[in-house]
Amino acid sequence: MDNKKIETFVVPIGPQHPALKEPGHFEFTVDGEIVTDATARLGFVHRGMEKGVEDRTWVQGLYLMERVCGICSHVHAMAFALGAEKLANVQAPPRAQAIRELVGELERIHSHMLWLGVAAHEGGFDTLFMLSWRDRETVMDLLELVSGNRVNYSANVLGGVKIDISAAQKDEILKGMDFLEERSRHYMKVVTEDETFLGRTRKIGVMAYEDARVLGAIGPTARASGVARDVRVESPYAGYVDFPVNIQLSDAGDLEARFVVRINELFESYRVIREILEKLPPGDLAARMPRRIPEGETISRVEAPRGELLYFMKSNGTDKPERIKVRTPSLCNWASVLQTAIGHKLADMPMILAGIDPCFSCNDRMVTIKTPANPDVWDWETLRQFGIEYYK
Amino acid sequence: MENPIQTVMEKVKTWARVNSPWAIHFNSGSCNGCDIEILATLTPRFDVERFGIKLQGSPRHADVLICTGPVTLQARDRLVRIYEQMPEPKFVIAVGSCGISGGVFEGCYNVVGDISEVIPVNVYVPGCPPRPEAIIHGVVELLKSLQN
Amino acid sequence: MDTQELLQKAEELLREFTETTNQPEENRLDVYMAVENIKPAVKALLIDGKWGYLSAITAMDCPDYEIDETTKEKVAVAGKGHLEALYHFCEGAAVVSLRFKLPYDNPHLETICDIIPSASFFEREAMELVGIIFDNTPITARLILPDSWPEGVYPLRKTFKGLDKETKGE
Repeated sequence: MDNKKIETFVVPIGPQHPALKEPGHFEFTVDGEIVTDATARLGFVHRGMEKGVEDRTWVQGLYLMERVCGICSHVHAMAFALGAEKLANVQAPPRAQAIRELVGELERIHSHMLWLGVAAHEGGFDTLFMLSWRDRETVMDLLELVSGNRVNYSANVLGGVKIDISAAQKDEILKGMDFLEERSRHYMKVVTEDETFLGRTRKIGVMAYEDARVLGAIGPTARASGVARDVRVESPYAGYVDFPVNIQLSDAGDLEARFVVRINELFESYRVIREILEKLPPGDLAARMPRRIPEGETISRVEAPRGELLYFMKSNGTDKPERIKVRTPSLCNWASVLQTAIGHKLADMPMILAGIDPCFSCNDRMVTIKTPANPDVWDWETLRQFGIEYYK
Repeated sequence: MENPIQTVMEKVKTWARVNSPWAIHFNSGSCNGCDIEILATLTPRFDVERFGIKLQGSPRHADVLICTGPVTLQARDRLVRIYEQMPEPKFVIAVGSCGISGGVFEGCYNVVGDISEVIPVNVYVPGCPPRPEAIIHGVVELLKSLQN
Repeated sequence: MDTQELLQKAEELLREFTETTNQPEENRLDVYMAVENIKPAVKALLIDGKWGYLSAITAMDCPDYEIDETTKEKVAVAGKGHLEALYHFCEGAAVVSLRFKLPYDNPHLETICDIIPSASFFEREAMELVGIIFDNTPITARLILPDSWPEGVYPLRKTFKGLDKETKGE
């Protein structure tokens, strides 16, 4: 038992509202200014879905898995559908695979912009938060235009997709891409040139290449440390075979790099969406899937906005799955970044945690800080302000 | 001819600006779809604060609790505690299908489902998730009922 | 290196620890091992061979099933079968899964957290949901299940059918 962990006090982090006062989810042990240990307690959003899906048909399972996470619901459904199709030896038609990619990239745009605003807010840059969320409404409108819903677009069916892209929709999407691309250039400027912003991000929260490699860092966090992991590039799925993306890397490994990589991914999303719309293959939207899926095991890997999403799927010949194991990217990100947090300043924690791009429903963001000294209860706003004041 | 809905909205806005209800938000285990749409109501396109309702503060100063999610077993005690910390009179808006019936998670081993099994609910806003306009509508409906 | 070459390299790195192998999909290799080989195998693959990264640990309940006389439904036979832990390592498109079958009465595996500290989350999840025990894992505090969850009840076991109302607190 570590005898440095004398006093425990609670630093709750809610989503953007500093109103939640909850006992610890994440535990930081602090010695003076420096974090010496970090771990987590999750479970507030644990619903029991991996068990629930065993009791639902494959079709029902699709709707359930979509709701693992409201921010990246499409990639979850896509991973599930692709896996089921592999087990059933069914190929979704090319038009469907392209539309899957299109929606996936629109989702990546909304997610990265959401994160940009949230991360800005954690650092005290509320104007950037409001601007990016206002601009984000453009992509929300596009998602609603093509699918009928702003969130949980339900584009996938087992065997393909249920939505099509009309000529009018194509025009709207292209207009949206132009607008967002211009706005993204502005964000890039802020993120790489604003002194106050750089004070919170440049050379802060550095994850070295070798640590990133061994700790299993994935997604933009890994790519910001120079580790070239991106499932769309290494193991292309759905439309990515025909419409590939270029991997975005940085070797700085700091918080600034994590911002830059995500904004560069936005530019890449705009580019590939335009390409898909130009060359959308003709044909059916879905192939027929059997109700009972033959026995087998498959692993379905897709690149969610936060990184690699892995589904291990086992079928048993019936209309219900035997086992669906979901490993969300945030679990890997927490694990690798919490390890990196050790040795960094407490004042950097808000931005470092935000830099993970935590998906709340993969884990709520709650923090306990263990320190030998002060038994005060901190709320999130205090921790956040602590970080802002520290860097003034 | 004056739009009747506009009239109501104006009256509510006036009342709300005078009374300034404070709201807090709690996620009892949702996928975050609803929470993100609630957050969107704060941003310029939807601007829920023009209705006078402020989304911040601690439970001890809150009039309204906006709750999402199907109430996981771990979140349940906290939800009760937050509700108990709120002074009377207090009101609860359940946002999303999960808070009505458990939504897609109905029957899963770690969820309760209907928020009203844990704390009393005044307004349900259905949807998976409901749009920001629907959430604001729910808020306005509650404020209207408070006026009386 | 293309995917087949990557899989071959992994197979070679793991050869001395392997009991049997299987290639269930074009890009996947399953390697079944004895429990005592977990750490040397992970070291050989990830550290010495610099092959891939640990992407996930899947824990499964693999019970024997029988058909219930009355309902004609498949039911799990309590205590018959095994648990299984799969360690999925990814490099490019190649996925290598180290697989360990564990008896119900002795579901122990040595932790790999001294090699991969970030594996702690994966091990904790498997411990709580399936009941595999990772010896010497650094943190055993509850991660996923609520504080009120009864000890020794593993929800992902096929015999688990939900908490009764009393335990659930209804």
